[in-house]
Amino acid sequence: MKIRRIITIAKTVWLEALRRKDVYVLLILLGIMIVAVMSLDIFGLGGVVGYVKDVGLLAAWFFGMVVAITISTRQLPDEEKANTIFPLLAKPVTRAELLTGKWAGATVSATIAMLACYLLLAVLVKLKGGAFEGFTFLQCYLLHAWAIGVICAIGILFSTRLNKDAAATLSYVTAGAAFLLIPQIPRIVVNAQCVQRSGLLVLYYIMPHLELFDMRRRMVHDWGPASWSSLLYVMIYGLVLIGLLLVLSWLAYRRKVLSRADLF
Amino acid sequence: MKGNGIEMRGLTVTYASRMGTVNALSGINLTVPSGSVFGFLGPNGAGKTTAMHVLLGFITPTSGHASIFGEDVQGSIARQRIGYLPEHPIAYRFLTGREYLQMAGSLFLLEPTQIKSRAKLLLGQLDLIDAADRRISTYSRGMMQRICLAHTLMSDPDLLILDEPTGGLDPSGRMKIRMMINDLRTRGKTIFFSSHELSEVELMCDSVAILADGEIVAEGKPAALVGEDKSLERYFLRVTGTEKEIGP
Repeated sequence: MKIRRIITIAKTVWLEALRRKDVYVLLILLGIMIVAVMSLDIFGLGGVVGYVKDVGLLAAWFFGMVVAITISTRQLPDEEKANTIFPLLAKPVTRAELLTGKWAGATVSATIAMLACYLLLAVLVKLKGGAFEGFTFLQCYLLHAWAIGVICAIGILFSTRLNKDAAATLSYVTAGAAFLLIPQIPRIVVNAQCVQRSGLLVLYYIMPHLELFDMRRRMVHDWGPASWSSLLYVMIYGLVLIGLLLVLSWLAYRRKVLSRADLF
Repeated sequence: MKGNGIEMRGLTVTYASRMGTVNALSGINLTVPSGSVFGFLGPNGAGKTTAMHVLLGFITPTSGHASIFGEDVQGSIARQRIGYLPEHPIAYRFLTGREYLQMAGSLFLLEPTQIKSRAKLLLGQLDLIDAADRRISTYSRGMMQRICLAHTLMSDPDLLILDEPTGGLDPSGRMKIRMMINDLRTRGKTIFFSSHELSEVELMCDSVAILADGEIVAEGKPAALVGEDKSLERYFLRVTGTEKEIGP
């Protein structure tokens, strides 16, 4: 694998994300959503900084997931549909380089879009008279970026064999389940029967654990930064997960017959 | 140059479809000498693009073997020396013409100075200098074809695989592409192209092969093949069995 080829492919993904309007629209919608929720002043919490942080970070996670899935799942299907995949793979570009480049481009694009979202949130919190603790903010963003990397790898994996709508739907289901349902399994498993228990445990161990990358509560309640060793373990876990998902993507894509839809 | 430009030996591609097994290519044998211009002809659905896709490694043949300059087509080494222009080519519309060429240069790992000079040269040769920094989404059909051809030529490939390079172009656009192909021929490049413009093929090709229903039905120099049929078009219609479709 040649790094320069991967960067070239990734750069094309960044340029596309930058020049298409959809990410900006999502960012504007997010801004409107946060401001609207804050202005509702539910139970008189509108003025509480913690509430603003909580709503804002939840919106940032939602926004990050939408952008990551939107960008990653359209890469391969759009190339195949537009036939731009043919001149690309007619060059000495391996399919592993293509997949890695697409993943890197999608991850960096979504992470940069998310940075804008975090900065917007920091400004809103400041306007409410609060602030984020610097190190915690950095750690929260870093782990969130790692989660985006995992979500993009999930999107790339599904898009190797599915069209972009189906890949996006499955990615939402997988990422949503990994974030919300999988962490609940240990609680459910206590009361489960034998087969059900085994099934749930298998699911618990094979599904990605996106909750490990979530530092929102630490940020909202000002618990201070996490230990760097814990952070490192989570990052290593993320890298292993991304590596596995990309290897699975390669296995699914390496022998895929690429034919023009209008050929036969 | 090592080996023939292209060699296909017993190349067979079959697909399973709802209608049963489809033989896209049935044991094709073909040799394209280095430095020649070779026309690959056939009616729609004859298997031309499938054969080209095998050469580019997009499709693994069911049986048989294909090589480019002696290198197996399934490896990426063979693709180091190929330039491919697909039928109705589409470039990344969000890039500018210059960025699109720079991208091709980077994928071939060319030096940045080499990329810059090569892009400038090709933009000039294909009459795209004024539009070089405009987004490709603003290009006309002919400009799109030319920027894709420039993209194909960025690495100065030894073998060019062109799938209907003049399809859908106006006479001036066709002329520009023909001039470029002639220039490449004088520089000793091997050109393997498919076209439905048989007069163009007659004019430009050293040899041709005619494909029908996945089999090669004729091969040789255009002048030698034509014989009593007087034109390549008539000969083509006769050997592909399409003559009866259009009547006397």
